[in-house]
Amino acid sequence: MSIAEKIKVLIVDDQVTSRLLLSDALTQLGFKQITVAGDGEQGYKIMSQAPHHLVISDFNMPKMDGLGFLQAVRTNPATKKAAFIMLTAQGDRALVQKAAQLGANNVLAKPFTIEKMKAAIEAVFGSLK
Amino acid sequence: MNLELPPRRINIIQGEFKVSNDPNVVITTILGSCVAACIRDPSAGVGGMNHFLLPGSTEALAAGGDATRYGVHLMELLINGLLKQGARKDRMEAKIFGGAKTIASFSNVGAQNAEFAVRFLRDEGISVVGSSTGGEHGRKLEFWPVSGRARQHALTGVETQRTVALETRPVAPAPKPAADTSVEFF
Repeated sequence: MSIAEKIKVLIVDDQVTSRLLLSDALTQLGFKQITVAGDGEQGYKIMSQAPHHLVISDFNMPKMDGLGFLQAVRTNPATKKAAFIMLTAQGDRALVQKAAQLGANNVLAKPFTIEKMKAAIEAVFGSLK
Repeated sequence: MNLELPPRRINIIQGEFKVSNDPNVVITTILGSCVAACIRDPSAGVGGMNHFLLPGSTEALAAGGDATRYGVHLMELLINGLLKQGARKDRMEAKIFGGAKTIASFSNVGAQNAEFAVRFLRDEGISVVGSSTGGEHGRKLEFWPVSGRARQHALTGVETQRTVALETRPVAPAPKPAADTSVEFF
């Protein structure tokens, strides 16, 4: 079993199309355990019930945005060790700094390539093979 | 005495988007094979337009991947811009224009682009209340973001060729994200 197959991933994005594309990209990278959520609130609920190893979350979302979600994940002892990659369509330095302060492992600007996503994940988990 | 102000015209080009809640604004663009999505929330009184041409061949577009992510990005920028000004996704409605099949482009990238926009909006639950896509002529498009009124003029053959030449010249495949966002801090 490859490393990718062992990692449980949670995708959080309010756009259906973005979730599908990210899910496709992760499947291409060998991930098999993928869960999706439509906003931070739903994402946090899933994490609280069944912590995932890796969270890939959009920033701009209704109800609870990516930063709020990140903060909630990092505050809960059961979920705080999860790797967290933030995606943003309109990034700025303030957002990147805030995400870093709150403990994000990386911030990727959309549109990302599969190679960039792979590099960001491997920087946390090592080779996915 | 006519006190009505002349409309403030804002032109966008490929890879750009504009959102406004000013009833006096009209957003304009010129489309060949490119597609523009005009989305608004009538209750919030805000609307906007983007203008995109997905890079790559028709085969690449059909396969999804990076080209599709680029289109999704431009749709997301527009939707996020609307949300920031008080719009709600469940109230949004859209009009789609462009995607001409011009003589200069033998493959039908225009149709693929229009199909992408329709599919995206359907998947996101945004109703399409009007569209004018395909055909052999480019379009000059005007959109009033608050009222949702849209007006288009067909380009002449020469104008269409010139527009397609501009659209297909080599450009960066995706809008450059702010340099700051590529910061990695492992």
